[in-house]
Amino acid sequence: MFLVRGPLDRQMFGKPGGKLVPVWHEDDSEERYVLLDCFDQSIRRSGAILIEAAGQLTLIGRDGHTVMQPAARTGNFVGDLEPGLVRRALGMVPELRSLMEIGTGKLLQSRLALIDGEQKTHARARFLTLRPEDPQGVSSVSEKVEITLASVLGLRGYDKAYRALTKKLGATDADGSVAEALYGGPVAYVAKPDIKMTGDEPAFQAASDIISAYVTVARQNEPGIIADYDTEFLHDYRVALRKVRSVLSLFKGVYGEAETEMLKADFSELMAPTGRMRDLDVYLLDRDHYFEMLPDTLHGGLTMMFDLLSKERQAGLRAFSRRLRSAGYNRKMLALAARFADRNSLDPGANAMLHAADYASALIWKRYRKVCKIAAGIDDRTEDEEVHELRIHCKKLRYLMEFFAPLFPSGEIRVLIKPLKRLQDNLGLFNDYSVQQISLQAFLGDHPTSGGKDNLAIAQSIGALTAALHQRQLDERAKVVSNFTQFDSPEVRKKFRSLFHNKGK
Amino acid sequence: MKIVACYSNKGGVGKTATSVNLAYAIAQSGQRVLLCDLDPQGASSFYFRVKPSKKLTDERFFKDVERFTKAIRGSDFDNLDILPANMSFRDFDIFLSRMKNSRSRLKKALKAVDGDYDVVLLDCPPNISTLSENVFRSADRIVVPVIPTTLSERTFEQLLAFFDEHKLNRKKLLPFFSMVERRKSLHTQTMEQLRNRHKKLFQESVIPYATDIEKMGVKRAPVLSYAGTRAAGRAYDDFWREITGKLQKKV
Repeated sequence: MFLVRGPLDRQMFGKPGGKLVPVWHEDDSEERYVLLDCFDQSIRRSGAILIEAAGQLTLIGRDGHTVMQPAARTGNFVGDLEPGLVRRALGMVPELRSLMEIGTGKLLQSRLALIDGEQKTHARARFLTLRPEDPQGVSSVSEKVEITLASVLGLRGYDKAYRALTKKLGATDADGSVAEALYGGPVAYVAKPDIKMTGDEPAFQAASDIISAYVTVARQNEPGIIADYDTEFLHDYRVALRKVRSVLSLFKGVYGEAETEMLKADFSELMAPTGRMRDLDVYLLDRDHYFEMLPDTLHGGLTMMFDLLSKERQAGLRAFSRRLRSAGYNRKMLALAARFADRNSLDPGANAMLHAADYASALIWKRYRKVCKIAAGIDDRTEDEEVHELRIHCKKLRYLMEFFAPLFPSGEIRVLIKPLKRLQDNLGLFNDYSVQQISLQAFLGDHPTSGGKDNLAIAQSIGALTAALHQRQLDERAKVVSNFTQFDSPEVRKKFRSLFHNKGK
Repeated sequence: MKIVACYSNKGGVGKTATSVNLAYAIAQSGQRVLLCDLDPQGASSFYFRVKPSKKLTDERFFKDVERFTKAIRGSDFDNLDILPANMSFRDFDIFLSRMKNSRSRLKKALKAVDGDYDVVLLDCPPNISTLSENVFRSADRIVVPVIPTTLSERTFEQLLAFFDEHKLNRKKLLPFFSMVERRKSLHTQTMEQLRNRHKKLFQESVIPYATDIEKMGVKRAPVLSYAGTRAAGRAYDDFWREITGKLQKKV
C-alpha cells in the first residue's frame, strides 16, 4: 500500500514498463464520504481513519490495511454497530465515546491497468482518493490535503511491470500514517494536556499554567455537552473544573487568601449544576446493571424510576445547555481564562515565588504521609467516614502527582500511580454505592408511596436496590485494607521517599 | 488439486472453446485454476492474449521446475493463470504426477504464488499419442466434447476402444455434446442414440452452437466474460456446475 499526499499525477504512469500503455478504468466512481471519529480522536491517534460512504464503513489502518462493513447502526457508539470487521477493529475507541462527524469530502476510486500491444494486462493498481471539503463539526480537519491510497496488483509472470509500477508509486510514498496525512496538525482535544514544566519556574506560574490549560479543556467540551453526543463531554468538563479547584485548594499560599477564596467560589459555582447531571448520567449508563441486580418481579418499578430519571436528565440538560449558551456564562469564562492567561490581575500569595519542583515535592510528600496515616488506622470496624476521608486524600495525592508528573521521571511516577489507582478504584466504588443508596432514598422522598400504585412499585424496587447496593458497599469495604497493603509496599515507600523527600541531596 | 483434461481425438469440435470457458467458469466459482495450453493448433493462450513463451520450446523444461513455474502467466481474470507453452511433451506423465505429489518441488513451486491451484486444466492436442495416453493416466477426469454427428460418433467410439485396449479407466471420461444445433434433427437424433447406448455417460449440459462462441476469436476473451447471461455463456457455467461434484468423487 502506498500513500500519496496531494493530487495524484496520472501522467507519471505514462510509460513505466516500456511499451505498456496505461488504461484508466471507465467506471471510476465518486462518492461523498464522512470522516468519523470520537471527540478525543482515538481512531486518528491510533493512526487509522474511519470513513462512511455509500452505506459502508471503511476503516483504513495506519499501514493502509482496510476493513469494511455495512454502515447500518442503531446509534453512534461502537457498541451500536453491527458485528463486523470494522467494529472488531475499533477497540481503540472508548466504550462511552460517540462517533461524530469530523469532516466530509469526496471519495474517488479508480483503477489502472498497464496493457501491452495484445491488450493483455501486465499489472494493475487501485486508487482510493480522499478529497476533504470545508471542515464541519465540532473538531475540524485543520489542513485540507487530499490523499490517495494506492495498491499494486501483480499478475503472475509479469514481474517487470509490477516492479516498474511499484517503483513509480514508491517514489511518491509519503511518510507517516494515513491519519497523519489526512488530518494534519495536532490532535485538537486532549483531556489531559501536556503542561510544560521545568521545575525552576515559581509555583505561581506552575499553578496558573495548569489552571489555564484546564479552563481551556472545560471550554472545549461545551459544544459537545449542548449537542449531547455522549456523556464524556460533561464528565471531562467536570474533571477539568475539579482539577482547577484542586489546584486552588492544594497549592496553598500560591494565591492570596482572599483571591483563593474568590476563585474557589467561582469554580464551585461553575460546577454546582453539573453534580446532579453527572449522577443521572451514571445511573442511566448503569441501567442494565441495576436491572441485573433485581429479580424480574421488581423490574416494573425500576423501569418507572428510570423513566423519571431520564426525564429529569433531559430537563437538566436543557437548563444546563441554556446556561452554557448564555452571555453571562460566556463572559465569566472569558474573564477567568483571561486572568489565568495574563496573570497580572491575580494576587500572588506567600508561596507564590517558591521553586515549583521543591514546592511539588513538599506537597506530595505531605499528602502521601497523610494517606498512610489514615490508612494505617483503618480496619474492619472503622467508621465509613474515615474510609471516605481516605478516598479524598488519595484523590488529592493522585492529582498532585499528575499535575507535577512532568517534573519527575515518567516511568517512576507510573509505577507509583498504578497501585494508587487500584486503591482509588476500590474506594471509588465504595463511595459510589454509598452515594447511590443515599440518593435513592432522596428519590423516594420526592415520590412518596402515598402518591399511588406506581410510586409503591418504585418504592419496592428502590428498597431492594438499596439492600443490594449496601451489600456491594460492604464487599468493596472489605477490599480496602488489602489494596492499601499493596500500595504500602516497601518499594513504593522507598520510591516516594527518594522522589519527593530527598532532603539529603 | 484436481487435474482435468479437455480432449478430443477429432479437431474442430469446440475443444479449445471448452478449455477457455471452463477455465473461466472455474475461476468465477472462486477456485484457482491453471490452464495449460498443450495444443499447438488450439492456442487457448491466444484467447487470453498471452504470448507463447519462446524460451520454452524443448521438452527438457518439464524436468526443470523453475522454468516451468516462471512460464506461468496471470490472465486478466482473478484466479485464472495460463501456461502458454504449446508443444508436445514426452515426460508429461512424470510432470503431472509431480504436480500432485505434495512433497515434490513442483507442487511447492506452484504454491509460491497465492497458494495452490484447485484445478489444473489441460487443453490437449487432438490426436492419440504418447502424450494423450499419459494425460489419460494422470488426469482425474477427461472432458470430451462430441458434436452429435455420425462422424463424431465414430471418433468417440474409437476413443472408448482405445481406453479398453490400453486398460484405461473409462469412468474418467466425461463426454458432453458440443456445438449442438437443436433445429437439426440429425443432432437431436444422434444425441438420443448416444445417450441410449451409453447410459449415464454423457453430461446433461449441452453446449449450443452459437455466434457468441464464434466471436471469441474477435473478442479474444471467454464467452462468459462478455455474454455470460446469454445461452452459450450460461451453458459453460452449467457444465462446470454439473461436473464439479463429480470431480470430487474417486473412480
